Amino acid sequence: MKTWFYTRRGIVKAVNGVDFDLRQGECLCLVGESGCGKSVTALSLLRLFDSPPGKIVSGKVMFAGIDLANCPVEQVRRVRGKEIAMVFQNAQSALNPVFTIGDQIMEQINAHGRYNRADARKKARLLLEEMNIPQAENALNMYPHQMSGGMKQRAMIAMGLSCDPSILIADEPTTAVDVTIRAQIMFILQELKTRRNMSIIFITHDLSLVREIGDRAAVIYGGRVVEIAPVETILTDPAHPYTRGLIACLPDISTNLKRLPSIPGNTPNPIDLPEGCTFHPRCRDVMDVCRSTEPALVNIAGVHKVACHLYDNAGAFIA
Amino acid sequence: MTELKPGQGGRSRIPLRISHRLWGYYWERLQKNRLSLVGLGFIGFLVLTGIFGPLLVQDPQKTDFNILNLPPLGFSIQESIYDIKTNEITTTMIEGRPEHPLGTDSKGRDMLAMLVSGARISLLVGLLATGIAIFLGTFLGVLSAFLGGWVDNALMRFTDIMMTFPFFLLLVLIVFIFGPSLAIIVLVIGLTGWTGAARLIRSEALSLRTRDFITASKALGASDTRVIFNHLIPNVSSLIIVMASLSIPGVIMAEASLSFIGLGDPMSTSWGTILNTGQHSLDSAWWVAVEPGIMLFLTVLSFNFFGDGLRDAFDPKASV
Amino acid sequence: MRSYIIKRLLYSVIIAWGILTITFILLRVGPTSPVDRYILNIAAKGQDVESVRQAIEARYGLDKPIIEQYLLYMGNLLQGKWGWSFSASQPVMELIGSHWIYSFQLILLATIFAIILGVGLGILSAVNQNTKIDYATSIFSFIGISIPGFWLGLMLILVFAVYLGVFKTFYDTSYPIWSLENLRQLIMPVLALGTGELAGYVRYTRSAMLDNLRKEFVTTARAKGLSERTVIGKHVLRNAVLPLVTIIMFDLGSIVFGGAYLTEIVFGIPGLGQVSFNAIFANDYAVVIAVTLIGTFMVLFINLATDLIYTYLDPRIRYD
Repeated sequence: MKTWFYTRRGIVKAVNGVDFDLRQGECLCLVGESGCGKSVTALSLLRLFDSPPGKIVSGKVMFAGIDLANCPVEQVRRVRGKEIAMVFQNAQSALNPVFTIGDQIMEQINAHGRYNRADARKKARLLLEEMNIPQAENALNMYPHQMSGGMKQRAMIAMGLSCDPSILIADEPTTAVDVTIRAQIMFILQELKTRRNMSIIFITHDLSLVREIGDRAAVIYGGRVVEIAPVETILTDPAHPYTRGLIACLPDISTNLKRLPSIPGNTPNPIDLPEGCTFHPRCRDVMDVCRSTEPALVNIAGVHKVACHLYDNAGAFIA
Repeated sequence: MTELKPGQGGRSRIPLRISHRLWGYYWERLQKNRLSLVGLGFIGFLVLTGIFGPLLVQDPQKTDFNILNLPPLGFSIQESIYDIKTNEITTTMIEGRPEHPLGTDSKGRDMLAMLVSGARISLLVGLLATGIAIFLGTFLGVLSAFLGGWVDNALMRFTDIMMTFPFFLLLVLIVFIFGPSLAIIVLVIGLTGWTGAARLIRSEALSLRTRDFITASKALGASDTRVIFNHLIPNVSSLIIVMASLSIPGVIMAEASLSFIGLGDPMSTSWGTILNTGQHSLDSAWWVAVEPGIMLFLTVLSFNFFGDGLRDAFDPKASV
Repeated sequence: MRSYIIKRLLYSVIIAWGILTITFILLRVGPTSPVDRYILNIAAKGQDVESVRQAIEARYGLDKPIIEQYLLYMGNLLQGKWGWSFSASQPVMELIGSHWIYSFQLILLATIFAIILGVGLGILSAVNQNTKIDYATSIFSFIGISIPGFWLGLMLILVFAVYLGVFKTFYDTSYPIWSLENLRQLIMPVLALGTGELAGYVRYTRSAMLDNLRKEFVTTARAKGLSERTVIGKHVLRNAVLPLVTIIMFDLGSIVFGGAYLTEIVFGIPGLGQVSFNAIFANDYAVVIAVTLIGTFMVLFINLATDLIYTYLDPRIRYD
């Protein structure tokens, strides 16, 4: 899939070749630095980016036999919130400040089904209780600014779950909250996965969270998936030089480093992506071919795919 | 070691008046807004008309009862005259004449000459009254912010009162009491129109006062006066320019309204006074009400276009 | 909340007192006294001018020092004595009581017209940002802001009353206020008064909508599967309304004695604008002060109402 933004400064190739599949009850993590295109990928799944300037230039989003990327907007709208729900990074700004939490949850319930007010309210209350929000009845009447950050984020998740979706997209749901609340939210998400058998797309830049919740992880760089594999494999046996770099940067309390390692250079400018492999200007193992040809995503070991010239088309390690 | 003169070290921003590069930058941004250039063009035309126009046309106050209600060139109207002797109604066509290209009014005054005079009056009132208002507003705003305490309190309460006053009623009242003359009109609009500017400048000055470069220049021994004139005023200069350009149309409109209701200076011809005449001859000479209105409209429109463009050009956040 | 309202009311009283004082002083320092005008009539009837003058001045306390007059006047006002209108030969309150409804109706209808169309066009413009609809609306709003309301009124009369004959050229007071005939003849005045407001609201609505369209909660609303109509009409609009309320209410305060005043004069509507206009030209103090005070109270009331509406609309704001 490719999603480009046609701006006055040039075409922003935010998503420039992301391919993955998602299974029932699985948690797939999209990992990458800020600006790599992981959030736009999530928005693209439900066509939620601003259009214009944004446009899905090629690719498909197949869900239950419908291609969400190319079908009429009305059809996507019926999937949004009902089948695929989204939880955003910053609940503070993602909740509408002038409506109560209850109103905002009930609105979604009513958008996809017919409930009378009392039923919808009861359903909303149960959802808040499921999220461990104290005095749920009370919380329904609260405005976002009256709640703490953690409560807002949990209310946001409750809202996402209000129509029992089969997929939940969580876009960095823990970045804006502090550590204890992060633990709570991660716990809730894990519960959802096991209890509701829900599929989760978890977007993060934090590999430790991936380890905690992910089944599989897709590493995104410069708007492309560069490696996709089960979390264990990614963490213990990364194939792509970029992934290796990321893993190496993970702080490890058992070693006593004076300085945290980092990958030199910056994330590429999506208006002016480098030719060939987008990672080549920062890559330690760069070869001539990397500067001219874009590597394809190849299978190297069963479910482990990587896009790097270090591996040939059959997936064998060359260098 | 070179000797450091007081106040020299703290200058963080070059005053607009001596920075050619900054002027160039703003001019470049302004040019991207085509409508504001059109506005500027029309304002330029008006200024030239106001300065040199009166030399080229006849006396706008000169009446000629042989050519009452002459239509503009290219138009004609029917005039019916009832003859007492023959008891007959004769209908004649009156055509516009080249010596009065825009026609004449009910007293035979040349419309072109009156419009040219009106341009001069409008600009004069607009610029002078805005100048007074902005100067007063800036002065009182800065004073309020720097002195603080009871001065600030009293000034701001007074501003509240002035802002609550039914503005137009106040204008009418004062102009009526002191007699309608151009000087009074300019003074009244200027002396009542400073409130918005004062508030804006005060809040801007208050936020600037705590900034590091002001503190730095104070630490170097700069006096309050020096801080105000070398740092504060230059820093709010773009704000002042934008405010002025956006308040000129309101002032022009206020003068026209006053003249329209009969409180204009009887010694001079402004667009409002022509409109006053035209109001009473709508059925016999439409152009007397149409022409000055169009001029007024275009003038206000031009200032609005220009002011809008200026605001965007000076606003670092706006993409032009 | 209650203490806030009380505080605001007290402040309003102080402001009203300030305005009253300024008006009083302005009227007394003026070159002509109301007695002079009255006396001209007496003199014409051949009575002894000086004795009548003294009698009148004694009767109304005008011979006392200005401070005493002021206190006397304030005392009367506090007792609800608004004075006597020389020119209309009736108590001021009676005069105002029989005319206020015309102004109220005009302002009410013009405001409703401006809000509905202005907000509607503003939303349309914002939703279709940078399309032809948007540009056309922008140009229209620039024109609307720049067109002088009283001139627009004249042009409407010229076209629809003088040439097309759709409306009468004068305001007919014989119809009951809320009758269809009366509402029909208010169409032109409402257009003349409302167009400027409308154009302003288009611009403010557009920018407020654009500000909020970029907010994250809009994406959330879409992600919930809400229809675009709900997203725009509920989530965005409800937030965009907040700044609009302030602007609309402020405008309402300023048209009470600005645009409405001129519109009444152009169309000959016998509202408070006409009344105060006539009173000023007749040196009728009591009426002028009463109308000014009423205007002030309207503005103060509107300001307070704005704050209260705001607390209702924006749950984040609480005055404690």
